[in-house]
Amino acid sequence: MVYGVNDMAYLVPPRDARTQSTGVVAGYAQTASRWPAQPLARRPHGPAELTGPRPDALLKTTGGDLAGQGARRAIGQLIDVRVSIVDEGGVPVSGALVEIWHCNAAGKYIHPNDSNDAPADPNFYGAARLAADEHGRIALRTIKPAAYPVPDTDGWWRPPHIHFSVWGRVWLSRLVTQMFFPGEPLNQRDPILNAVADAAARSGCIARFVPQAGDALVYEHQLVVRGRNATPGMP
Amino acid sequence: MTLGPFFPREFAAGANDLARGVQGEAIEITGRVVQADGRALDNLVLEIWQADAQGRFDNHAFHGWGRAATDSDGVYVFRTIKPGAAEGRAPHINFLLLYSGLMRQLHTVMYFEDARDPVLDAVITGRERLVAKKEGPNRYRFDIRLRGEGETPFFDDG
Repeated sequence: MVYGVNDMAYLVPPRDARTQSTGVVAGYAQTASRWPAQPLARRPHGPAELTGPRPDALLKTTGGDLAGQGARRAIGQLIDVRVSIVDEGGVPVSGALVEIWHCNAAGKYIHPNDSNDAPADPNFYGAARLAADEHGRIALRTIKPAAYPVPDTDGWWRPPHIHFSVWGRVWLSRLVTQMFFPGEPLNQRDPILNAVADAAARSGCIARFVPQAGDALVYEHQLVVRGRNATPGMP
Repeated sequence: MTLGPFFPREFAAGANDLARGVQGEAIEITGRVVQADGRALDNLVLEIWQADAQGRFDNHAFHGWGRAATDSDGVYVFRTIKPGAAEGRAPHINFLLLYSGLMRQLHTVMYFEDARDPVLDAVITGRERLVAKKEGPNRYRFDIRLRGEGETPFFDDG
């Protein structure tokens, strides 16, 4: 992975606002308490913004199998998720560090703040940290997360989704987003997914199902860390 | 209730000390993060990226990156070294915030004193809020208000 001064300062076509999440989202009350009211300032970019950390030197990677084996296997539909990470020019980000987390097949996260009345799965721990290969790809085996209700809302259920946190080559290419599954009725009315105005950009947040033999359903997905075609950020 | 509450605790644990074994003036940066109504935010994730004591971003002996999460009082702590002045820049630390209800990550910058700086000069209102308060010889306070009266300035990078 090449970081630091080897990355010359470069200009990237800015994101199109319609392809990115809006700050304050109808139906998602917390956004109105947290998104800044003042316009964001535009700043010039130099080495401080156009270099970036090497978190792979600090953070340990885990295995790419969250589903477990045999008697230790998590409950739920086995899935294989193949993700490619590319930069603003469509070039694979080889070695990119990726963090992944999602809830179990009952809609429960392993987290003290999750008050959802759904059972934990003793064989499921929903977090992984992986380094992409030289082609910017990671392979995750896990179980499909369930939908779950959002507390203190009027019947909002999150569609099944997987959280991704990605480091690109520079500080400005940090991406935190969510991947959705095709054909889920809840996708149509999820305030988070629909905070992206552009339909094509929303489609880009939904994984592609790849018909393939085997015991797991296979999905492919691409994450673009920066630039005009950047994947929209999501919390 | 998405990223913030359920961001795995261990992802943020143990990554907030950048100073260990590094040459430079060790400092502590602490602050409280609040939302529009003044409520402190729990388990909000902050990441920083900074130069070394000489203002360099390519020092392989100093990673320059760290991550912390706020506690239930909204308080975060970083231990690091005071960055030097990079060419054309005043000493500063880049901050990035991730949380539920923040549809996009928020970028801001902490300074040690008000100074001519192209990024600080790009702030139209509230530049003084990007200057940390010195609380002791090696201790700085950088509080962050996401929205409302006294809102911290944030940056849009296109």
